Order: sequence, then C-alpha cells, then structure tokens
Amino acid sequence: MLLIEHEGKALLAGVGVAVPPGVVARSADTLGRRKLPYPVAVKAQVASGGRGKAGGVVRADSPAQARAAARKLLAMKFGGEKPRGVLVEPWLAIERELYLSVTVDAAADGYAVLYSPRGGVEVEQGAALVRCDVGPARNFRAYRLREALADVEADAAVRERVVALAHRLVLLASSRDCTTVEINPLAMLADGSLVSADAKVVRDEYARFRAADIAERIDAEHARQPKAIARALAGKLMLVWLNGEIGLISGGAGMTMAAMDLIADAGGRPACFLDCSANPTPEGYRLAFDLLDGEPRVKVILVSIFGGLTQMDRVARVMKEIMSERRSVMPVVFRLNGTNVAQANEILAKAGLHNNATIEDAVREALSFARAGGRR
Amino acid sequence: MSVLIHAASRLLVQGITGNVGRFSTRDMIAYGTRVVAGTASGRSADDVGGVPVFPGVKAACAATQADASIAYVPASAAFDHVIEAFEAGIGLVIYPGDELPVQDAIELRAAARASDAIFIGPNTPGVISPGKAKAGFMPSFCYAPGPLGVISRSGSLSYEACFRLTGAGLGQTTVIGIGGDPIKGLTAAEALDLLHADAETRAIVCLGEIGGGDEYAVAEYAARPGAKPVAALIVGRKAPPGKKMGHAGALIGSHADTHSAKMKALERAGVHATGTISGLVAAAKRALAASR
Repeated sequence: MLLIEHEGKALLAGVGVAVPPGVVARSADTLGRRKLPYPVAVKAQVASGGRGKAGGVVRADSPAQARAAARKLLAMKFGGEKPRGVLVEPWLAIERELYLSVTVDAAADGYAVLYSPRGGVEVEQGAALVRCDVGPARNFRAYRLREALADVEADAAVRERVVALAHRLVLLASSRDCTTVEINPLAMLADGSLVSADAKVVRDEYARFRAADIAERIDAEHARQPKAIARALAGKLMLVWLNGEIGLISGGAGMTMAAMDLIADAGGRPACFLDCSANPTPEGYRLAFDLLDGEPRVKVILVSIFGGLTQMDRVARVMKEIMSERRSVMPVVFRLNGTNVAQANEILAKAGLHNNATIEDAVREALSFARAGGRR
Repeated sequence: MSVLIHAASRLLVQGITGNVGRFSTRDMIAYGTRVVAGTASGRSADDVGGVPVFPGVKAACAATQADASIAYVPASAAFDHVIEAFEAGIGLVIYPGDELPVQDAIELRAAARASDAIFIGPNTPGVISPGKAKAGFMPSFCYAPGPLGVISRSGSLSYEACFRLTGAGLGQTTVIGIGGDPIKGLTAAEALDLLHADAETRAIVCLGEIGGGDEYAVAEYAARPGAKPVAALIVGRKAPPGKKMGHAGALIGSHADTHSAKMKALERAGVHATGTISGLVAAAKRALAASR
C-alpha cells in the first residue's frame, strides 16, 4: 500500500528525518486562509508516479497564485487518479538532487539500501544505483554503507549524512512495517543539509493486525473502490476486471494464471480474475456468482478450482445449490479437482452438472459458449 | 531418497486443535505420516485423532522426539510459533499460511539460520515425499513415488502439475512448496541444492510464475557444470501488466515483461522450459531423458 506523499513525510518526520514544513489543503479556499512562506511549491497528492512530469508540482509566489495552482491541480487527474488534496511547502533552493531508498529484497534476505548522487528524474530514467545489502534491520553496518558510497559520492560530509539517514530509514521500515521507503529527490541545500523533498513509502498490508494506521488506510482504500470491487473485498474475494468475456472464478494465483494463459492461447479473453481461495464458503461463492451475473460483459462463467485445503465435495455441494437458485441463464463451465474430488464428481453428476476432466477441456467449452454470445 | 520429509520423520502439528489443524492431521496420518504430537496454547492432556496434545513445543519434543513441525496458526501468531519450534531444537519448520508480514518473514529466515534449521514458507501447501510422508495439505492422489524433484511457488499450480506428472507415470522424490512471497524461508536456490544432493532425484521440475527472481536462481543452477536436468513451467504469460495476481505477489509492472525474460534466461541455461501447463509433461520427459 503506497502512501500519499504527505502521509509518508509524516512517518519520516516521526523518526526525526528532515522534511519541509508543509500544510495539506483539500480545497483552494481553505488554502487561501493559511499564512504561507512564499515562494511555495503546491503539490498534487496522488499515489501515481511521474507526477512532476505531468505538471503536478507548481511554484506559487503569492496567495492568489497558490489558490490558482491548487484549483488547477485539484481539477486534474494523474494516471487516472484525482488528487486527494494539495501539499504546500516552502520552495526549496536545491543545490543537488540525491536519491536514497530502503527496500525489501530477496537477494538481501531483508532490507537493501539504494543510493545515487544524482537523483530526481535521472533515477526515474534508469540511472545506476549503488546497492548495499543489509538483511534484518539490526544488521545495518555504517561502515559497509560508507564503503559502498565511497565509490560514487565524493563529498565526505554528504556521505556521513546519507549513512545516518539510511540507518534511520531501515529502522523506520522494520519498526513500522514498510516494504519501501524512497526519498527522491533527497535535496541537498546550500548549507549541505539534506531534506526529503519527496517521499514514497509503501506499507505492508499484511501487518494490519498490529498497525491500526495500516488497517484504517486499507479500509479507506476499499471504501474508495467501485461498488463491485468493494463488495468483493468485503467478502474476502480478490476481483480484478479485465476486458474479455469469460468470467473466471478460481482459487489460487498460480492456477488462475495458468488458466488465463490457456484462455488466451485458445483465442479467448478473461473478463476478470476472481480468486475465492481466501473465502471458499457458500457465502463467498454466492457473492462471486452474483458479481459476475450482474456484469453484462461476462458471457460465460468458468469455475476452475484445484483444492488442497479446500474440500471439493463441499465446493460441489455449494455449486449445486447456487445453480439451482440462480436466476441468470448465463452458462457455467466447471473444472473442479483436488481433495475429495471423487465425492465432488458424484454430487455434480447427480445434479446434472458436467465437470470437465481437464482445464483445457473446460476452456474449450467456455469459449464455445462465449462465441455463441453466452447462449446455451 | 527424499529430502526434508522422510518416512521416519516425526512430525509435530502446532495449532492442532483448530479446524485446519484437525483436518490436516487426519489427512497426513491417512497418508502414512508419523504425526507424533500436537500443540495448542493453553491445553494439555487432550488428543486429536490419537495424537497427544501438549501446551508447548518443548514439552512435545521431550515426550515424542518430534523433529519437524508444521504450524497451523493465523499470521498474527506465526512468528511466535515458528520461533518456539526453532528454540525447542526442531530442524524443519513449515508455516503454510499466507499474509505473513514481510518483517516477520525476514526475522524468521534469519532465526532459522541462527538455529541451523530450515524454515519453509509462508504461503505454501507444504512438502510431500510421495509414498513416504507429507507435511502439508496437498491432495495426496496427485502424487506418486518417482525420479522427479519438484519445486513450486504456487500451491494450486503444484497440485495441477503433479496430477499431470503422476498421470503420465512421472513420479516424484519430494515436492517442495517454497511459497510465492518475496521473502521466504527455504529459497529456490537452497531447494535446488537439496534436490541436487539427493541420489534418487534424476531430474528437477520447477513451477514458476511472473514476478520475483526465483526463476533466475533456477537458470543459475541449470548452467552449473554437473547440474541435473531441469524442466520449468512459467505461468502468467497473459497476465495483465501492473495487476497483482491473487495474494501470491506475482506482479508485472517495473519489469516490462518478466515472462519472456525468464523464459529466455532458462532456455539459455539449458532448461527444458515451457510457458503452458499443457507442455509440462513433455518438458519433464525431455529433462528425464537427458538424465540417462
């Protein structure tokens, strides 16, 4: 979960990292009532990348300019995303833009520090980064990072500041469940001090059980989703709409992807992937059918589940019930396999439902329905 | 031989009194696994299907000499349970659950190293050595004894893949679910080393997907002189860019097209690679033929 700039900066400020003193405004009018240290930077608060290039940061030298900038930015969209406010900060006189980030990396068995003496757009365009593997946060060693920086950062004073800052970022990441803390640009001012001009902080959604702020943020994010997605999330289903016509109900990411590959190879297109593995209950499957039955684009539903912990006799019983209650006439194609599949086959056969032996057969059947416009 | 889990393995089930713990314990015993003990916080002198239940791992080990453990507990309790097993001296601990915070995965991998133990997971169905024993909840009928060592990032895909291999007469020594999370206990490289050292494993099958770097470790292994022949299936060729697929963390976005990049790296290393589940059995057969 990527935080908006001002949220990320609040986390940084909380551990003593220098950030520009900023104010957040949700509208141009509220901004007009604030006393601001002109010139200021007015920055659209969006999660999408490439904000600078898209004109999402505007300099303002007067209250009138600041209000105009805010009005303009709040009416814009960045990568399809409407800003959730503007952040107004003093305009920084930047001597040099640096890059510093801490991220989780498998090769490091934990955290890795990445640095470039030339940050900003150059890094976004793929400039090489110096890398120093840390592992668990307690394994941070200043001397190792100092050695890594020596090759690329000529200014010894800057090196020391970067080492100290990197240590704080590693501790922040581990103590607050962040998977990435990126500062780009890290601004060096005329006096040599370093200020975080931007912040990209990604927090680990799986840590929601121990971090109230993450849980709150996830709930808010869910509430912002379109209705169908919000319903799916509330039912612990993972729904992503795609632009095809085959509604894929599945369990487990690996088999979902294998099925999507087969659908594409056969000349079809999935309308979605809808993963029920986190809630393989009657309620979960009912919701899945309800979501797809209500979507005109979907011409056929393909249920592809290979269950381990999910007992397929239970799934078959639920499918039988759903098929008998369901009002939609949209065809449904089954491919169920896994734990207790023999009982599942019996249940389906008694209910007059066909269970395909292979996923290839199921995909072929689904495609023939889709080509017939969703008619049986 | 098999790796990790053997006929003689003495398995402990942490969280044995929960629904999943009970179901899986019955299933593992039916497969012939020696499930010697269970734990449940705050309980004792109880049993689940004849398996004695202890309040903690140390007591369970003292009474039963358990040497491997699988923990069926929620993610919020995973860290404590896995650490408890390490500190009681258990050499192999599996955490099959998903949604484990990355920070906990980092600490558990480090703790496993410090204890000279192996941590497998998170987000895995477990490990099965067909015909001998299983520690996990994979559907047993998908597996049969044979010469293939299998490594998988995805549970559902490994069931489907092994169902096909077994159906084609290609059995397995051990099938290891390493899990799909970015930070994992046993890595692909380490799992490959285990299978490489196993005399009965004649060829290795790797089941991978878009995102992450495990498949590059597979390519690295295959390029090694004396490496066993490797077959690989990489799914997600047609996955939409920039969308997270399920919770496994397969994501294309920053790497423009990791599927073709991975396929190329594998092919260059001499891996019998396929991009479709329909091609898996043929690829595995080619790898086995190369082992003669």
